[in-house]
Amino acid sequence: MKSLAEVLCDWEAVIGLEIHTELTALKTKMFCNCRLSHHDEPNTNVCPVCLGMPGALPVPNREAIKSIVMAGLATNCKIQKRTCFYRKHYFYPDMAKNYQTTQGPVAFCMNGRLVLEVTGEGATERPDSTIGKDDDGSYTVSIRIKRIHMEEDAAKMVHVGGKEGRIGGASESLIDYNRCGIPLIELVTDPDLRTPEEARLFMEKLRQTFLALGISDCSLEHGSMRCDGNVSIRRRGDVELGTKVEMKNINSFKSLHDALAYEICRQAQVLEEGGAVLQETRHWEPSGRRTTVMRTKEAADDYRMYPDPDLPPFNLPDEFIEQCRARMPELPDAKRNRYMKSYGLRRREATYIAADPKTARLFEEAVALAGDAPLMVANVTMNLVPAVRNVQPFQVASISQLICSDAITFAQAREVLQIVDGTTDDPRQVVDERGMRQCTDAITMANAVDAVLAHSKKQINQYQDGNKKVIGYLIGQCMKASQGAGNPKYFGKILKERLER
Amino acid sequence: MMYGLDHLGAVQIARGVAKGDFSAVEVAEASLEVIEAKDGDVCAFLQVCAELALKTARETDARRAAGKNVGPLAGVPFAIKDNMHLVGTRTTCASRMLEHYESTFTATCVRRMIDAGATPMGKTNMDEFAFGSTTESSAFCKTRNPWDVERVPGGSSGGSAAAVAAGEVPLALGSDTGGSIRQPACFCGVVGMKPTYGAVSRYGVVAFGSSLDQVGPFGRSVSDVALAMNALVAGGKDPLDATSRDVETNYLAGLDDSVEGMRVGIMGSLMTHQSLSPEVMLGLKDACSVLEDQGARLVEIELPHIDSAIAAYYVIGPCEAFSNLARFDGVRFGYREPGHATLAEQTAWSRAHGFGAEAKRRQLLGAYLLASGVYDKYYYPAQQVRTLITADYQAAFDRCDAIILPCAPTTAWRFGEVSDPARMYASDLFTISSNIAGNGSISVPVGLGRDTGMPVAAQLQGPTFQDQKMLRLARALERGVHEAGLMKAAAIAPAFVGRGR
Repeated sequence: MKSLAEVLCDWEAVIGLEIHTELTALKTKMFCNCRLSHHDEPNTNVCPVCLGMPGALPVPNREAIKSIVMAGLATNCKIQKRTCFYRKHYFYPDMAKNYQTTQGPVAFCMNGRLVLEVTGEGATERPDSTIGKDDDGSYTVSIRIKRIHMEEDAAKMVHVGGKEGRIGGASESLIDYNRCGIPLIELVTDPDLRTPEEARLFMEKLRQTFLALGISDCSLEHGSMRCDGNVSIRRRGDVELGTKVEMKNINSFKSLHDALAYEICRQAQVLEEGGAVLQETRHWEPSGRRTTVMRTKEAADDYRMYPDPDLPPFNLPDEFIEQCRARMPELPDAKRNRYMKSYGLRRREATYIAADPKTARLFEEAVALAGDAPLMVANVTMNLVPAVRNVQPFQVASISQLICSDAITFAQAREVLQIVDGTTDDPRQVVDERGMRQCTDAITMANAVDAVLAHSKKQINQYQDGNKKVIGYLIGQCMKASQGAGNPKYFGKILKERLER
Repeated sequence: MMYGLDHLGAVQIARGVAKGDFSAVEVAEASLEVIEAKDGDVCAFLQVCAELALKTARETDARRAAGKNVGPLAGVPFAIKDNMHLVGTRTTCASRMLEHYESTFTATCVRRMIDAGATPMGKTNMDEFAFGSTTESSAFCKTRNPWDVERVPGGSSGGSAAAVAAGEVPLALGSDTGGSIRQPACFCGVVGMKPTYGAVSRYGVVAFGSSLDQVGPFGRSVSDVALAMNALVAGGKDPLDATSRDVETNYLAGLDDSVEGMRVGIMGSLMTHQSLSPEVMLGLKDACSVLEDQGARLVEIELPHIDSAIAAYYVIGPCEAFSNLARFDGVRFGYREPGHATLAEQTAWSRAHGFGAEAKRRQLLGAYLLASGVYDKYYYPAQQVRTLITADYQAAFDRCDAIILPCAPTTAWRFGEVSDPARMYASDLFTISSNIAGNGSISVPVGLGRDTGMPVAAQLQGPTFQDQKMLRLARALERGVHEAGLMKAAAIAPAFVGRGR
């Protein structure tokens, strides 16, 4: 098969996504009062309603409606005040009622968009120049969102005895109804995405947005955020859409990218060999790095949708929507801009920190405690914090201050952070107790340098012959001699003075 | 048996138990004796829950002994249509599909009756899943009309109507989707009321047509029905039924007040409809005179779209039934046919053999009507008709306080006399419009037919959520009928008087 870059020179990929997100932040299910949890024993959070027992009736979860309205506002959708639930019928053992309660033509949120900034390596996937790229190749693209609708999740089927937990070859299938009735919002994009990288970025941005809203834990790994990708290709310049293939089982950002990339290349190969792409659903196999056929669609399914008579239509009052708007936190893009403007952070750092609400909170609290060291706090937050599990803002603040005042090196800061990880210990105390505070005393340091130089004739000659790099080795020797207490910056300065005298 | 207890109405029993004239246990025992004596002929009950009844009655007596409030229905025996859940009983919907299904929770309507002090006696026969007008589609037995055991009791709540008519219980609960309370009440010569949609919770009632179903009481007098209604709406909106509403009404207040000056709408073309038998037409004429004698004024009204009601009903009803009954797939509960290799076969054959002919006919009809391409031709126009009929009623009720209509075109017919489904469906002409529009309606016996000697009833329909006004007119009609000697007060079907052991 050709590479993605080769394929995309001749072909244009047309990609749309359907992204399901479980509203895991809610306490109860969509239509009953059962506890919403992924961590309980199977079939413990169930009741007549979510088990679909005869005679049971659904009652909508008001908080779930708030969550979807917030999701809509955050993605620039128009909130539909008048909407209702529909019944979507199909027989399957994971569907308690043999119909799913979902929404019809009018969803709670319609016609939104998300703006993506495609930068770096990923931007090169898009070869066409029409997009208006910056000098460094990065570009901005607006992706339309068709709708976000509310529905209930089905039960979880566990197939025992088959390969990779799939139904084929399984000896029995178990059903866990804990998941049945968990509120789910499904976002459907227009087919506006053109590269696997754009799809990956869209998903990532959506995840960041939903995390900021606090409506879901958005775990791809545990399935609380799931993505199906639709992709077709057409010759560059063509207007007609090609036959689309739907892809399932995408459970990481990398899978989304790789599955789409594989599928685009596969379709190109099929077409270039004179074949035809079949309308089918394919399954991404991360282990084999390929997609395989799940089912071929011969005829469109008829779900016999009609408005659910058990759930009266909604007419959301303006106050309700305003309440939701008032509850909206600052979203990642706004946060990034504020960091750049107020703290002078670079775009890359600001984007990274603003993307995750927990990181952003840590950063902001640490900045407030550290006073005027936002850049160093950002540096620590971005480069050191990801390696530890649980550090407090005051710890990040004081470590940043210690680095700024040259009391410790950045390398030592990494070590200190690991020591205070999960504790409430003060990094200053740790530094003092362990004698990590760097020596900046000029005489002591000069003596250490002289002692090292006395044994380094060879390196001195090399330096004077023009091999300036050797100074690194000498700094290392000085650090060693001072048992790590010296400041390498100062050692470097003194060494230079001595060597160039 | 304490002499005559079985002839008392609910109002007298509740008063007697509260005063200590007799105990709840004595009343329950009397009811059990009458059931024992008569039900072999009538077959109103599918199950008699004697132990549960006596236990409940003992609790009522214990409350009274302890000086506690015994409730407005203290010790009043009542029967429950077998599509309503009561823990400790099976809920079969008179279907093979649920032959062994044990209730896992208690329906709100049943709970409220028991909370008011009433004693549950058992579950009554019905048309399978409430599809029918004669109770003949029950999978288990044929309920006979207590006035003439060769005739049908009507349906679908035929068992409940017959149990009250035979004096087995003073009160019974039924459900009415297109006339299933009012028509059997008419055939059996008792009072049957379908409250305004939303007044009584549907939680725990196995659904037929969710937007049409409404639970209501049968009694041998309007006062008994009003007393039961008080219990059914006590506590207001049911948090478990999103379509239920708060109704703060004491249906007994002012029940006996004069109806002087109240306007009763009459639609000439319906009162002399070609489908009406001469004896029914005569009965209705009498009913109109009686109402005028009581001081009411008759005014001509029009319901221009009522002729389309049957067509709309036989679209909406089956569509809703199709999805409500989809959950019966033999996987987790209900009839499962053994010996099939695949899930699809097991589901198909369990449904093929678990459901009777009429249940299958309605579901097939629904599946067809909701199919893509068909939906727009039937379901959508049916909803438009619904809007028109609702508007017709609103306009009519600007001019009157209630409307008088026939209840059924004929008196109860003999078994097997009507077998063509279309003809059977057509007999619902006068009852279904108030399910379509949702307003309250009640069937009141107004005499015995000149030709058949079987009870004839008039139907009164009131504006939405003004059931109290409708009940006042119903009471005036009943009073006038007794005063005029057209029918005996609170009559037990004569065929059984003196036939007890």
